[in-house]
Amino acid sequence: MASQVTRAVNKFTSQSAVRAMVRYGQLAVLYLLLIFALPGNKQVMQLHNLSTYEYHILQLLIGLPLLVVWFTAFYGYSKLEIYTESIRRSPEALGFKRLTQGCTWIAWSLPIHAITSLLSNTVSDNHSGFGAAVIIVGNYVDTLLPVVAFTLIGLASRQLFDQAKITLSGISIRGITTLFLLGGVLYCYLVFRQFSGAGLSSTHNPYHMPIWISVLTLIVPYLYAWFAGLLAVYELIAYGRQVKGVLYRQAVHMLELGLLAMIFGSIAAQFARSAQLSAEHLLFNTPLVFNLIFQFISGLGFVMIALGAMRLKKIEEV
Amino acid sequence: MSVTPKETLYQQIIHVTHIYLGPAANRFIARQVKGHLHKDPEDITKSDLKKLIDWIQVAVSLLTDDSEVIEEYIFQLHKLANDSRENSKTRSAS
Repeated sequence: MASQVTRAVNKFTSQSAVRAMVRYGQLAVLYLLLIFALPGNKQVMQLHNLSTYEYHILQLLIGLPLLVVWFTAFYGYSKLEIYTESIRRSPEALGFKRLTQGCTWIAWSLPIHAITSLLSNTVSDNHSGFGAAVIIVGNYVDTLLPVVAFTLIGLASRQLFDQAKITLSGISIRGITTLFLLGGVLYCYLVFRQFSGAGLSSTHNPYHMPIWISVLTLIVPYLYAWFAGLLAVYELIAYGRQVKGVLYRQAVHMLELGLLAMIFGSIAAQFARSAQLSAEHLLFNTPLVFNLIFQFISGLGFVMIALGAMRLKKIEEV
Repeated sequence: MSVTPKETLYQQIIHVTHIYLGPAANRFIARQVKGHLHKDPEDITKSDLKKLIDWIQVAVSLLTDDSEVIEEYIFQLHKLANDSRENSKTRSAS
């Protein structure tokens, strides 16, 4: 019986890791094909005096670090999935299952965002009539994925928190609220600056939608997702500090540091992208550099998540 | 660390292990007992304890290099073994 269970877990382990890597490979190949197959932005080529070939090579050079980050993300969530499977009958299984689902959504959001950006930039550059439509669709995709991911991670942290019978102090809640308010006000300032005095129903803004719709359906969900992410990070850190078990805590600590870096990186990247929409189609600019830095932080987070999950898995193996 | 006298030997071992392995303690001990002693965890007796402690020491050494933590954990388990022995002596004398 025990050997059958071990065999089933081993089979799942190899399947899960292979499945994640195959999906990563498919997305990476699709992204590389799109880089070379889609026509370049003529404005950018003229501005930097680039030939079509040089433009694509530069796009590839910018894309390669992203491929490394996606690899760490897919590797990280597959390791967490394997650990979650190994404790599927335990009381903390539901919390870890939701955490894995949240990390999976974040991992998938990285290539989905990059691929939809490539496609939407090409369409808006070459077919000006569809420009607004593809930007709107891209914005909603970019909003939906983190909302789902951070909601799942928030549910996971709450589950683990309740299960370990930990409570948040009033000072902590006030601290998180203040931090969130400061970030939210800064974000609203950066976004509203782009509306430049246009009326509420005007669509002459980077979102190509009336301002009130943009606020209700994009900005509010962004802020909700970030607050859910921030709160989840805090709860996971508190869980890692207060949960019993010297050796268990060491493994959870690595996992919680990874989640902190991953959530910070993805919130910051989204913050930078959505506060600077108008400059996104350009190849070389400050938002691009910030986006790469934040994605690297996120990727580093996924590496730590993988290490933490492997340590936790080892406890379940020996 | 206090152990309630009504606890079974298995529960006492879990109690000690919880300090080191937290929520993974139950699964860890159940695995050691089933895998090495080929018994149901609840059926464990004092006579199994020495062998179990040896296996636990091997397993925990694979999880950490911190010898202090390992020694402390094993010391707590040995203490448990000695307490059980003393209790059984007291019971047989009375």
